[in-house]
Amino acid sequence: MRKYSVKQYALLLTAVIITGIFLFPVYWMVVTSVKPIQDVFATPPMIIPETIQFDAYVKNLIEDRSLLPYIKNSFVTAFGTAFLTLILALPCAYALARFKLRWANILLLILLITQMIPGIMMAMPLYILFSKFELLNSYLALIVGNTTTALPFAIVIMRPFFLSIPKGLEEAAVMDGCNSFTAFTRIILPLTKPIVLTVSTFSFLFAWGDLIFALTLATDEKIRPLTMGLTKFIGQYGTQWDNLMAVSTIAAAPIILAFLFLQKYIVSGITAGAEK
Amino acid sequence: MNGRVARKSSQLGTYTVKSRFSQKMPQYLFIAPAALFVLLFMLYPIAYNIVVSFQDLTLMNLRSGGEFIGLQNYKEMIQTEKFGIALKNTVIYTAACIFFQVIIGYLLAVFLNQDFPFRNFFRSIMLLAWMTPLVITGTLFKWLFDVDHGVINYFLVSLHLIDAPINWLGQQDTALAAVIMTNIWIGIPFNMILILAAMQALPSDVYEAAKVDGASRFQTFWRITLPLLKPALLIILVLGIIYTFKVFDIILIMTGGGPVNATQVLPFYGYELAFVNFDFGASGAVATVILVILICIALIYLYLIKREEAE
Repeated sequence: MRKYSVKQYALLLTAVIITGIFLFPVYWMVVTSVKPIQDVFATPPMIIPETIQFDAYVKNLIEDRSLLPYIKNSFVTAFGTAFLTLILALPCAYALARFKLRWANILLLILLITQMIPGIMMAMPLYILFSKFELLNSYLALIVGNTTTALPFAIVIMRPFFLSIPKGLEEAAVMDGCNSFTAFTRIILPLTKPIVLTVSTFSFLFAWGDLIFALTLATDEKIRPLTMGLTKFIGQYGTQWDNLMAVSTIAAAPIILAFLFLQKYIVSGITAGAEK
Repeated sequence: MNGRVARKSSQLGTYTVKSRFSQKMPQYLFIAPAALFVLLFMLYPIAYNIVVSFQDLTLMNLRSGGEFIGLQNYKEMIQTEKFGIALKNTVIYTAACIFFQVIIGYLLAVFLNQDFPFRNFFRSIMLLAWMTPLVITGTLFKWLFDVDHGVINYFLVSLHLIDAPINWLGQQDTALAAVIMTNIWIGIPFNMILILAAMQALPSDVYEAAKVDGASRFQTFWRITLPLLKPALLIILVLGIIYTFKVFDIILIMTGGGPVNATQVLPFYGYELAFVNFDFGASGAVATVILVILICIALIYLYLIKREEAE
């Protein structure tokens, strides 16, 4: 193990304090959800809980199961978005990196600009479009809506990845009798695991946290995801903060889990997204 | 004679173009699905917003189609007081958020650029604030800003920064500030990570030279770090403005645009017009204004990238 100086341990201590203060809201969310209701409203607030109980979780997940369909809808929408985004983005980003196509730069420019358009601007036209085709209140509508957010990001960060793969690989494959399609599926796709993980994590999280399309394209409670479920609970629970914070913690759980296991891919995704 | 040659070469020309196209066909097939998706579900909606902004389209005539009414929607938009308030609030919100996010993000990046145990853990754990869905963050901060039991009022009173608890989200002169603080919290780690990445790309030899020449820390920052970071900072700034400008979720959750329009912003106003009033034409006009503003910012962004690439 590396030896650190006293100064470096002092820096570590400072980092713990800064992070502690900064992430205090997240701590407060979890702590509120496990306090008995009288402790939630205690004055002064109990920074460290005296009694820990999971009543709010038992109530919202086991006794009252109205939350479960929302969770299912969120998973279907988020996985669907990740899947659709990958299918569309992988070949496109590959072609933009490899082939000299006349429209490639224009498409790239369009993607860069559409990435900046607020989702709410897409929502109204998509609402009208889907209502004409009777597609409102379907998973498809939600998945398509969320893919409009995820796709530009996916292509913009995947293209540099394909640029970094040596071109000789496919040339060798073509010599061995592959065409450009089989060269892509057999030789290139297996190499894309890290970028596929980054892109699918991000598109999953975009869709998981989406409120705009959930609010506008799904008016039927049966199809609405957890973010809309949460807004329903805000209306229903009013200021029952223990219940609200429990539901919030449940909704944040996949993010925290994704974070613990896929941290590396998340950080690389953010920094790659900010390069041209 | 000459004519024949010309005809032959032109034939040759079409021939090569054709074979080129059939050779490129499979290559275009790679792009086709994504291009079709972009055209249908992204470019069409943007164009639709613009077209609808010149129409009188409501829920009543949605199926039959709206009537062309020229600039009527825009005239009405400018006359309503709400639009001016929303525009002003959006500008204040974006400017305040970006200002504090970049400064605090920069300071954190400087701190986390030092060498100490577990620094990578601290760098990424903060991103939790940015990754959490905005609905959750909005709900959480509503609880933190609560008048009677909110922990923010408790801390501020115990530190004697304020005398009595403030009804942050319930009164006109503090609601926008509370929403801004929430979004600053969300954006700090995003800025920190990007600035940190830019800092790590800086050459270290310049700093050694500065040290040898006896430059002070302030001089090193002002004369070396800042100029070197400038291109990256400009891009982070523009990206930040674009992402902050989109503000919608936390307004819906925390204030609903109120009290009395104190937190009304353009994207939320556009939403209200379309999905509360079902006045699609008016919403299209607001969407078009947002689009024009964003295109101006995007052009600055592209110009900056071009200039950086040229250097």
